[in-house]
Amino acid sequence: MTALNPSAPAKPGAAPPSAIRNLVRLVLSEYFVLVLCAVYALAMGPFVPELWSWEVASNILSDMMPLLIVAIGQTFVLVIAGIDLSVTAIISMAAVVGASVMSETNGYLSGGPLAVPAALAAMVALGLAIGTLNGLAVTRLNMPPFIVTLATRMFFAGSAVWFTTFHTSSSSIAGLPDSFTAFADASLLGIPQPMILAVVVTVVAHLILARSRLGRWIVAVGSNSKAATISGVPVARTIVATFAISGVCAALAAVIYESRMQTGSPITGENILLDIIGAVVIGGTSLFGGKGKVLWTVFGVLFLVILDTSMKLLGTSLFAIYIIKGGVILMAAVIDTLRHRILVTR
Amino acid sequence: MKSGNRLALLGLQNAPLILFVVVLLTFGLMSDRFLAIANFRNIVIQAAPIGILAIGMTFVLLTAQIDLSIGATMYLTASVLALAFTGLPWPVALLLVTVLAAVVGAINGLIVTVLGVASFITTLSTLFVLRGVAMWMSETRTLPFPDRITDLNRAGVLGIPSAILAFAAIFALAWVVLHQTAFGRQIYAVGEDAEAARKAGIPAKRITFACFVICALCAGVGGFVTVTQIGAVGPKYGDQVEFAAVAAAVLGGVSLFGGRGSVAGTVFGAILIKTVQNGLNIVNADPYIYPLVTGSIIFLAVAVDGLRTRILDTLNRRTIRPLQAN
Amino acid sequence: MSPPAPLLLVEGIRKSFFGVEVLHGVSFTLGRGEALGLVGENGSGKSTSMNILGGVHQPDAGTMLVEGQPYRPADPGAAIAAGIAFIHQELNLFGNLTIEDNLFIDNFPRRGGLPFINRSAIRKSTQDHLAQVDLDLAPTTPVARLSQGERQLVEIAKALSRNARLIIFDEPTTSLTRREVARLFGLVAKLKARGIGIIYISHALDDVMAVCERVTVLRDGAVVGTGTSRDLGVPRLISLMVGRSIETIFPQRTAPPRPSDVLAVTNLGQPGVAEAITFTIRAGEVVGLAGLMGSGRSELARMIFGLDPFRSGTIAVEGVELRDPTPARAMAAGIAFLTEDRRGEGLLMEAPIADNAVLASLRSVANALGLIDGKRVAAASRTMAQKVRLSTDRVEDTLVKHLSGGNQQKVVIGKWLMRAPRLFILDEPTRGIDVGAKQEVYRIINALVEAGSAVLLISSEIEELMGLSDRILTISRGELTGGFDRLDFDREAIMTAAAVGADHAKVSS
Repeated sequence: MTALNPSAPAKPGAAPPSAIRNLVRLVLSEYFVLVLCAVYALAMGPFVPELWSWEVASNILSDMMPLLIVAIGQTFVLVIAGIDLSVTAIISMAAVVGASVMSETNGYLSGGPLAVPAALAAMVALGLAIGTLNGLAVTRLNMPPFIVTLATRMFFAGSAVWFTTFHTSSSSIAGLPDSFTAFADASLLGIPQPMILAVVVTVVAHLILARSRLGRWIVAVGSNSKAATISGVPVARTIVATFAISGVCAALAAVIYESRMQTGSPITGENILLDIIGAVVIGGTSLFGGKGKVLWTVFGVLFLVILDTSMKLLGTSLFAIYIIKGGVILMAAVIDTLRHRILVTR
Repeated sequence: MKSGNRLALLGLQNAPLILFVVVLLTFGLMSDRFLAIANFRNIVIQAAPIGILAIGMTFVLLTAQIDLSIGATMYLTASVLALAFTGLPWPVALLLVTVLAAVVGAINGLIVTVLGVASFITTLSTLFVLRGVAMWMSETRTLPFPDRITDLNRAGVLGIPSAILAFAAIFALAWVVLHQTAFGRQIYAVGEDAEAARKAGIPAKRITFACFVICALCAGVGGFVTVTQIGAVGPKYGDQVEFAAVAAAVLGGVSLFGGRGSVAGTVFGAILIKTVQNGLNIVNADPYIYPLVTGSIIFLAVAVDGLRTRILDTLNRRTIRPLQAN
Repeated sequence: MSPPAPLLLVEGIRKSFFGVEVLHGVSFTLGRGEALGLVGENGSGKSTSMNILGGVHQPDAGTMLVEGQPYRPADPGAAIAAGIAFIHQELNLFGNLTIEDNLFIDNFPRRGGLPFINRSAIRKSTQDHLAQVDLDLAPTTPVARLSQGERQLVEIAKALSRNARLIIFDEPTTSLTRREVARLFGLVAKLKARGIGIIYISHALDDVMAVCERVTVLRDGAVVGTGTSRDLGVPRLISLMVGRSIETIFPQRTAPPRPSDVLAVTNLGQPGVAEAITFTIRAGEVVGLAGLMGSGRSELARMIFGLDPFRSGTIAVEGVELRDPTPARAMAAGIAFLTEDRRGEGLLMEAPIADNAVLASLRSVANALGLIDGKRVAAASRTMAQKVRLSTDRVEDTLVKHLSGGNQQKVVIGKWLMRAPRLFILDEPTRGIDVGAKQEVYRIINALVEAGSAVLLISSEIEELMGLSDRILTISRGELTGGFDRLDFDREAIMTAAAVGADHAKVSS
């Protein structure tokens, strides 16, 4: 093989009409999913005019926040070619543990001035601990991430239910303080608080992944961990860090979910695993590691939530939502695969 | 030092077996009902559906792919069975169910091999679609089955229950295919290195495709056996069984990275999981701790496997010069 | 009677890709029982020629005759059917399968009309073929347990099981130990005696000379010379390959080594790997490490860089002991390490040049807040590209996997130069790269050393070691077995010291 010559023509006879070329360029661009969101929202406009109302739009945004936060955590793990199936269990566990601390009926710190801050700290610490446990099992015990997080998922989802039985005879821990439940609906300077939290998480995550040394390490470990080792990257610590980030993000999402549901339920977040991974992959992050951006995940989550909302507004039944969601995730994956092929042959 | 390592390795290599014995002894000491023959029969009957699914999953895992849609495939085929085929003689109904399952598997296989989409995301999407279609057909109701289907559960040949017969037959068939046919050996080659397999003249894509069909077939049969046991199909039917099937296969030594493992291991894994659950049930354990115990056992088994690989690597590290006696 | 047709006659083969002709009428012949060496730089047309012979590509023009019969394989299967086997550098064996399964993986004999494998037939046949390659192993041994050399013999057995008349070897010795190489060459002689023709492709010209009666040299898609090994000789081969004479290849250094030690290794030992290794490298000095595959030369490098453990001894860089080395600590002490496995351990193949270039120097491209600054990344990478004379300066959008081997190696070197290393450990820096790129690498090494850095150079090519080093140490079985100053360089003596069992040799130096 001779060296690549960048000035050489890509392929003989490859001069498509400019419209097609522009389309190809759009499909190849990293903003493709964002454009897809806009096109979809426009196309749905005539059928669901509400989609364009301020109220629905802000609903979409607020709906997307907790999902976005977990999905961002998942992005980090996917970039090192891992996967974190335990996130939903972390959300459930964090929800019940948080409630057990601050509940006004039977919480450990019931009514105390530190009840809410302590509960929040406990939730985040729990996410950090489970995430770190996952990471250590992967690095120290040499276990595949899929199995580690499958096992911790079973374990902690079960623990959440079990834990609840110690605190209440009903199915969830109620009596959360108003100061906590108000979080989901309150605004700061006209911006809903969950959105502020999500934006902060997004910005910090973006800075970590795209602009920090840790981020470069994460990408390097995901592309070739041996080469990363020889370049001085602390590979094991980097892997543990991604799982820890994923765990903390799941715990933060639990805060929003719990505040919105106004109760600490052990099935919080139970059914969103497929949405989380689907959204990240729609955004374009590779399941095989080495490639992913926080911004892509924002687009992926936005797309999934717009889709969901428009379906619900149309009064679509659950089964149709399932079918369409599955079809859309599949289509995104197909486009991403074809996109790669085009990029490779160019 | 070295012989200590070898001993540790011997233990680790047989860790799932040791684990199994420990489980038997533990529950056996806690309840005398546990070690009864009739109870073992129960355990195998309970393990049959998940075992059959896990055997199918093994084929897909051996090619270094995964099929997350088997629970949905089960739900879809069982719903169609409930809606359309209950009037037919059961062998015909079973045949139609497996054909339908094969079509589902073929779709997964085509998307993975022809379009080149990662199997994880392909089958994650078809999981949604298939569940949606099944919910649409069943109108999200719970569909009951007539006695002529559920009676099959009590039927059997020579006193061997039908579920065990189905389980054994599928295990035997899968074992022969994997070990005694060219196709089976080529599955291992594809799982080890698909690119090298292609270069060696092996139709890697066709083989991967076939494994998805086999996996779906097993999901259809596993779903049928489940139906005879529980007698109804509802929206939660087959939910998350894909994870249980992967867990059983991995517990039995199948690698997620392809090319390693066997159906015998998988069957063992399925039986181990069910033995634990059966034992917990017999000793009247808090039902909430079932998933905790199952999760811990899977974690332990795979951790041991990781440790084993690490020790093997140390033992097989090439020495350049003779080791001094120390 | 006309003389019998040669085993293989290749006449005027032409081939173009995307309108660019890469083979301009290649011709050569091969007789029964003959070995033909095929040498040339990367891009000279060796691979394309062999891919045409092996049925991977089809020629645009020209003829091929096998034993007088027209031969034009449509795919690799057709080539195998015609008795032409291609043993690739990366072996196509499956570690998780047994030897017998590997031999028959694409055409298992069946039992009658049934789909079941006829085990007894393949076991018998496998035993026969293993005996032919002198491999005393059970057919049911998993390939994962075999050494690299044994695997190669299994590949040859596989070729024999297909009744190969002609076997093409592509770089067969790169990952073999000396003993395995000797065994391979013995087998090749046996194959020749049976009338099987051999085409032998390698950058290791000594090996080519040892195996082949005749050598054909390719340059820029055309044959530039063919002759007997005896008439040509290594220097003449090189000048044919490069198109200029050999003297210009190793540039001269002007500055002599300085008195201060950059690296001091004392009594380094690890059971089973290394024993009592002691040596120093001065500033401005290149120390060559000569040893066979598996002698411990790479392991020594990996220990110094903190990749492999050691139980005893010390490593000091510029007088400061490097305690519990990890790559990060070794780097902080000023060590850089180029691995022998460029693709597997050296590069992020799917990432652009720039991302690879700055991976080991992320702090230097961060701004005051500690965030990576894209502009600095690009600027630093472009400076690096110019310094190592990379073929492209589009560092941000050219993926490393799209570069040639030589340019990939320059990226790895450039990545480490960015850290201005005090000691650069180079493990096989010119493996698998063409002569032009080799010369660039030599130039870079010289520039680094003249600026006062130290280099530990590991190479299988004795000419390279002798051309670049100020001093050569030999290593065998994890012990240093000899030391030679530049004035005392003697090819035979160095090779003897590197090949000798450590038991018989005393460490000198």
